[in-house]
Amino acid sequence: MTPLTSVPEAATEPPTARAEAAPATPGPSRAARLAHGLAFDRVGAVYVWLGIIVLFSLWVPETFPNLATAKQILNANAITALAALAVTIPLSARVFDLSFAGVITLTGVVVAHLIAKDGVPLVPAIALGVLVGLGIGLINAVVVVVMRIDSFIATLATGSLIAALVTMVTKEVPITDAKLGAAFANIGQTNVDGVTLGVLYCAVVAVAIWYLLEHTATGRRLYATGFNPDAARLAGVRVDRLRFLSLVASGGLAGATGIVLASMLGSGSPTAGTPYLLPAFAAAFLGATQLKHGRFNAGGTIIAVLLLGTGVTGLALANAPQWAGDMFVGVVLIAALALTGVQRRSTRAG
Amino acid sequence: MPLDLKSVQFTRRESDDMSVATQSATERNGSAPMPPVLQIAGLSKTFGATRALVDASLDIRPGEIHALVGQNGSGKSTLIKALAGYHAPDGGSVAELDGEPFDLGHTVPDGLRFVHQDLGLVLELNAMDNLALRGGFASGAMGRVRWREQEQETRRVLARFGVDIDIHRPLAAATPVERTVVAIAAALQGWQGGRGVLVLDEPTAVLPHDEVERLFAMVREVRSAGTSVLYVSHRLDEIFELADRVTVLRGGRVIATHAVSEIDAPRLASLMVGEEVDPDYRAPVAARPDAPVVLEARDVHGRWLRGVGLDVHRGEILGIAGLAGAGVLELPYVLAGVARHAVSGRIRLPERSAEWSDVADAGDLGIALVPADRGREGIVAEFAVSENLSLSVLGRLGRRGRLDKRAEAELVEQWTERLGVVTAGPGAPISTLSGGNQQKVVVARCLVREPALLVLCEPTAGVDIGTRVAIYELIAELSRNGLTVVLSSSDAGDVLAMCTRVLVLRGGCVAAELGGEGLTEHALVSAMEGEDR
Repeated sequence: MTPLTSVPEAATEPPTARAEAAPATPGPSRAARLAHGLAFDRVGAVYVWLGIIVLFSLWVPETFPNLATAKQILNANAITALAALAVTIPLSARVFDLSFAGVITLTGVVVAHLIAKDGVPLVPAIALGVLVGLGIGLINAVVVVVMRIDSFIATLATGSLIAALVTMVTKEVPITDAKLGAAFANIGQTNVDGVTLGVLYCAVVAVAIWYLLEHTATGRRLYATGFNPDAARLAGVRVDRLRFLSLVASGGLAGATGIVLASMLGSGSPTAGTPYLLPAFAAAFLGATQLKHGRFNAGGTIIAVLLLGTGVTGLALANAPQWAGDMFVGVVLIAALALTGVQRRSTRAG
Repeated sequence: MPLDLKSVQFTRRESDDMSVATQSATERNGSAPMPPVLQIAGLSKTFGATRALVDASLDIRPGEIHALVGQNGSGKSTLIKALAGYHAPDGGSVAELDGEPFDLGHTVPDGLRFVHQDLGLVLELNAMDNLALRGGFASGAMGRVRWREQEQETRRVLARFGVDIDIHRPLAAATPVERTVVAIAAALQGWQGGRGVLVLDEPTAVLPHDEVERLFAMVREVRSAGTSVLYVSHRLDEIFELADRVTVLRGGRVIATHAVSEIDAPRLASLMVGEEVDPDYRAPVAARPDAPVVLEARDVHGRWLRGVGLDVHRGEILGIAGLAGAGVLELPYVLAGVARHAVSGRIRLPERSAEWSDVADAGDLGIALVPADRGREGIVAEFAVSENLSLSVLGRLGRRGRLDKRAEAELVEQWTERLGVVTAGPGAPISTLSGGNQQKVVVARCLVREPALLVLCEPTAGVDIGTRVAIYELIAELSRNGLTVVLSSSDAGDVLAMCTRVLVLRGGCVAAELGGEGLTEHALVSAMEGEDR
């Protein structure tokens, strides 16, 4: 498409004149930067989130606006956030990892089995669990990158294989044992002043992914791979290697998340990961509309998890019917993506 | 166009119903101007702070080929998109087709048909399906498609343009000109007779040189049936060969409308650019037959290439020319080691190593490529100018994986200044730049790698005249400063403007080498087409 904002007059100037015409870039003033940082099209979800907090504070003033509820929202959404952060890495390279929910279930079951049934000590059991996650990630990577099968369908398929494996190990019965109540439970259940360790893990992972995507060459190359793999390849970016590694990373991260979840539940449940599939993708896609205009990013993902989690918790406290939470997630997601679509179109045209 | 299955009747789909309105020739040559078939006045369009069109007016006479020319960013696309109902113009515009007023930007009368630059075809489907997607399928009871009728209809529609295509083969396997035929036929389907305008938006942008003539024959065929054609282009030679009148846009304003017979190429070019531009421009480059050889390639085979060998001397600009299918577009990718298919042959950079490498491993030699298709392979549209520029050297900017944003900003500033990239700033989205400036960013991205050799593929595709010369000058200057360049183009003008030595490919082999006095447009074109033609 012809860019409509090009400057035809300037385009005809001789090169020397043009060099001078190129504007020097003075640093924007602090106020301008602040205004840009708080612009609605950048962080609209934060405003919606604040609006929701005000709404529920007025609607259910007895139970909603207090510290306990805030902590509950944080604790309840730690796993969703970890899962969403896990899929953010491959999504930034436009690779889907739909198998992550299966990986969460599988590593939880494997670690619970190792500790409860096989008597493996805690640390090696956790290490093995993470290795299982990385292993599934490796299989995904081979199927998607080496065998060149579309990631959406490939990871759906590996997810199905994982589900079979989980049923094989558990016979659909959760693994419970007194041994799971001791040190293993501390991983996820320890809390500091009402906030569980899961929230801390989340913060650490979010900062790590933010650093990766924002401040490393690898992050920039991941985005380039996602936006235009052909151009990236011709510019010397090793596109296949990045896609491969992104799937291994999301496998490993989902594996770790599964262990935290099993610890919080105190058991290895054969359906533990399933409920996180849609919320994680919802948060990642909603997050991509925030802060970075169409780029999947850690900060946006966290904002999205908080927005969705607050709404769902608020609705529950307000005694809204069961279906209201799901409906809320669906409406917010469509509204956010539609709005940013409108924005994108109008800025493109300009 | 919406797919309306119910209205499908063969009698209504006669595309040559248009011939009812055959008065074209007399009208074109008649002394009194006929009332225009399409008339637009007072058309303005503002995007944010940019005035893309300012009070533009245009009238198209019955049965004429009316060229619309202008550089990138002159408002051509906006005007076409307003006609096609894609952009709603600012208030105050009036439009009439065949005496009937219509609401510009909101409704598109049936008498206006479009073939957009990307042709709007589904390449995975065959010609028959593509025609039926626009014109409707011949269907019987329960929506069953009557394939036999559909096939006859397709053949009938295409027969008009005298092309022989396998209508059952996906269009992905068809040649560019065949696809263009299908697109034109699809656009003209279901014409209800009466007068109308076919809009062709840069139809030759994707056509190899030898197929342009066939397209012209089709356009004349459309005109001879009484239909007017609005022909958008920025190639002057085409306008003089084909058009009856020409309207020039510059900076969103209609600068002039002239009969083509009353104007010459330099005058038209200066109207477009706003200053005198020489279409016979030759960049100041020196032949360097005695300079040391930088690159040697031998016996290169690929999908099209059948054993090509070449030597490139330091600081020269070696041209690679040829028709589509000759391997001109393949060779640059093979030399740069980024071809996606199986290739064979030997390559070496003698100043670095006397060892020959397999061309399949040429990616390690440090040969940078400016790809042919800027939109698909060059820029990352979602990235800013700076991110596009630094993409090839990210590993160098910073330590231990951390990206040093200050080093990146310095690099970007240095190179945008050096190549004279016109931008609102390094953080501006690349999509806001004109085609020529995007191309400069892609060239800069290659140069920051400090390549042993720069390979340029179709360097001025989709770039307007003014910027074209700026790119010629830029490349000439780089070569004077010691950069070695291989330039492959299907545009003889590019090759003539910049190269001192040209290899002409035919059938995947080097058919001729032209240089010095022997390098003339006539010699080049006849070598490209072969002696037997």
